[in-house]
Formats: sequence, C-alpha cells, structure tokens
Amino acid sequence: MAGRVVFNPQAFANVEKDGKTVGFSFETKAQYYRGITLSIVRDIKINIDGEDVKREDIRFSVNGETFTLEEMRTVIDSDYRWEFGEYAVVTVLKEGGLSKGKHHIKALQVIAPSYMPFQIESMNEADFEI
Amino acid sequence: MSEIKRSVSLYSYQDEYYDGKLDLEGALRETAATGATGVELLAEQMIKRFPKPIETEEFREKWFGWLKKYNLEPSCYDAFLENRIFDNRTLSLGEQINMMKRDIRLASLLGFPNLRTLVSTPMDVIEGSLEYAEKMGVKIGLEVHAPFSLNSGWADGYMEMINRTGTKFFGFIPDMGIFCRNIPDVVRDKARRKGAKEECIKIVDDAYAKRIAKGFVKIKYDLNLGKANMEYRMANGMQEMMDAVKNAGGGPADMEYAGSSFTYSWSEPQDIIDNIDYIFHTHAKFYNMHEDYTETAVAIPEVVDAFKKAGYKGFLSSEYEGGEHLRADMEVDSIEQVRRHQEALRRAIEE
Repeated sequence: MAGRVVFNPQAFANVEKDGKTVGFSFETKAQYYRGITLSIVRDIKINIDGEDVKREDIRFSVNGETFTLEEMRTVIDSDYRWEFGEYAVVTVLKEGGLSKGKHHIKALQVIAPSYMPFQIESMNEADFEI
Repeated sequence: MSEIKRSVSLYSYQDEYYDGKLDLEGALRETAATGATGVELLAEQMIKRFPKPIETEEFREKWFGWLKKYNLEPSCYDAFLENRIFDNRTLSLGEQINMMKRDIRLASLLGFPNLRTLVSTPMDVIEGSLEYAEKMGVKIGLEVHAPFSLNSGWADGYMEMINRTGTKFFGFIPDMGIFCRNIPDVVRDKARRKGAKEECIKIVDDAYAKRIAKGFVKIKYDLNLGKANMEYRMANGMQEMMDAVKNAGGGPADMEYAGSSFTYSWSEPQDIIDNIDYIFHTHAKFYNMHEDYTETAVAIPEVVDAFKKAGYKGFLSSEYEGGEHLRADMEVDSIEQVRRHQEALRRAIEE
C-alpha cells in the first residue's frame, strides 16, 4: 500500500497571521487506501532540513477544522476524517517560518487500522522551495 | 452452463481514484464497461464523510440511480470494524457488536446482500450480530486471506461456531491470493528496481516453491494475530530462508523481497469444493494480468474450475492489488488490468 505521492507540490508555503510569519504549512494525503478517523492517526513526525519539529508545534487541518496531535486522539466525527485521496493541511508553528529557497521535508505518518497486528509507519520525503 | 457471476471490487481502481481521475460514478462506469454485473464497495474508500451520506435518501437515490444506469448489482460491502478507534483501549464487546450492526445496516441500505469482515473481528462479535444479520438479510463473510486458509485449524474455529449456532448468515469469503503458484512478477521486478540480487531472488523463489511442494503449514486460530502469523512464518521455513539470503550478502531490498513472500500462499483448489456450503462471495485477487490474459501468480483456470465443479452461484469479484508495486516508479493502469482480468474470468467460467 506504499509508494503513493502524498505531498501537494504547489502547497509548501509560509503562514502569515496579523502581518507576521508564524510558521509554514504543506498538504499531504495519507499513505493508505481508505478514509480514516483522525483518532487512528497515531503520530505525525516532521523533520525539515535535518531538524526535528516538536510534536506540540504541529497542527493538522481537515475540512476547515484544526487539531493538535493530542486532540486528534479522540476525533471520530464523520465530517473530520482524513479522506482517501484528499489532502490534509499540516501547519508547523515556527516564528519567521522557513527561509526563502530550497528545503527538504521528511514526514512520518503512523496509522493504526484496527485489523492490522502492527501500525503502518510510512516515511515520505520531498524537496521543495519557498 | 455455470451460474458463476462476475463483479469488480472498486478497491481495484484506487490509484485512479487517489489521483482524481475517477470518482465513485466513474469507477462504476468502468466496472460496467468490463462486462461485470456486480460491484463491491469499500464505503470508507469512496464515500466521503462516512457513514453520513449512506443515511441520507439523497445519496441513496444517486447510488441506486447509478446502479440502474450501469446495470450493476451490489455484490459485497467491505467493512472495517474499527474496534481500536481510540488509542487507549479496545471497544467493549457491546460496542463492537453495535458497530458491526451499524455496518450491516449500512450494507443493507445500499442493497448489499453480503458484508465482508476481517480476521481481526472477534468470534463473539460475529456471533452477537448474527440475529441482526438475518433480520436485515445481510450475510457476514469472513475474508480468508493469506496467511489464513480454509481447511485449517483457524477455519475449524469458525466451523465449530457455524455448526453450533446452525447459522446460514455467516461464512467465508476466500481471497484468491491463497492460490498463488509463485510470487507475483510485479513484486520481483520491484525488488530488482530497488537493487535486489538475482542470487537472493532465486533463494526466495526456491523457498516459495519448496513451501508449495511440501504443502504450506497452516496457521492456527489465535486472536493474537501477530503471534499466530510469526509461528506460521517460522513453521514455513522463514528462518532458513532469511539466513540463506543474509549469507548470500542480501541487503534491504533482498530482505524485503524475502519477507514479502509470506504475503502469498498456496492452497489446494479442492478447499473450495470442500467448503462450498459456506462460501457466498469471493475476492478474485490478482496482481498482474498479461496481454495474453494470464495472471502472473494466481491459478485462475484451476480455481475457477473448482468453483464450477462445486456448483458455486456467487460472484467472483476482481480485486487488483498490483498497483502498490508499481506506483512509486510508473503509471498504474487499473482500468486495463481489471478489463483483462474480467476477460480471463469470463473465459474460465464459460469455456
């Protein structure tokens, strides 16, 4: 079930709020074959240019609502699933965002379908430019 | 003339759906274009905001309108009992039965006479849902997917329940991946692209052939699937194969190929005949259909022949699973793959 292209190449960007750059965001599909409740997304780990992002700095948005990874543990509403083939918006809070130029992202998705004896851990990587 | 019917599982079209080339209606249109008369659905794959739309008349009108337009009959609803939906506990028995009943109801709302459940569904949950399944007219089928098999200690656990309850609403859905004569070529080619050595590939292919020659040691019934699976692998010579690959200088690609060999297995087609009273739907799994309508691994003619001999009247539902070995490196053409597979099934059924 691996090998999908998950990132939206057009969507890597810094995030502005009240005239300030508060972080950066990207869009990613799930490396899996059906839509899932956010509660079975057991972790998202992000590394940019060799530097790990702190778990509490990650925000995950689907259908216009935004959750922390901690909050996602209990999200089972049918309006806020990570739909098959659809992008979720992942935002990383980081003052000043990313510098202009080239970057490399490694993003690990940990998904735990109940029927599987183990979790699916898939590492996805991409080069992008801000 | 055989009464075996042909269906397509929309799982087959996942790559085109993922890339936005097909939507649900498009997948139904392609299904009909293959000559299949049945459709199998993973609601959580192609119905957004599951399960809400299924509860609405508006969606159901659309669904039944498409079925009429494309002349398709619902064959099987593939359910995923998410009994570990929260990370801190497994749902209680009552909660799981309620979830199963919800899925049975959803299947019935969309006109499906069969519901596929997975091996991780506890026996108590199946038993606790039987009365409701009967009331709704939806049969619960347990998918028999490698490493599981019919005529095994694992299947006996379910046969005991069938005999004890006398139920007509539970049975097996064999996945034709349990009839693989060899490891699919698309898996081997992927290993080569990743740098696997010919010597190691041969060790693995020979080990698979040896498993078939000796007869696969069958998996036991154990709800601890990880443990049961590891015992099964060890009993089928995993350690020796892994050691041989390592000694031949095998790297990650070789080890991955060796490990993947346990995704496939060989059962005797006679298993179908022996268990036909408990089989009402079938996943016609395939990995790579060649231009001459031969499948790389699955013994289609022999297995279909067993279904014919047994007088099977259910669907053989195409389930394409080759895309995952291609998509990282090349375009996947599920539409052409399913077309070829349906033609191969048609020939095997009619000729």
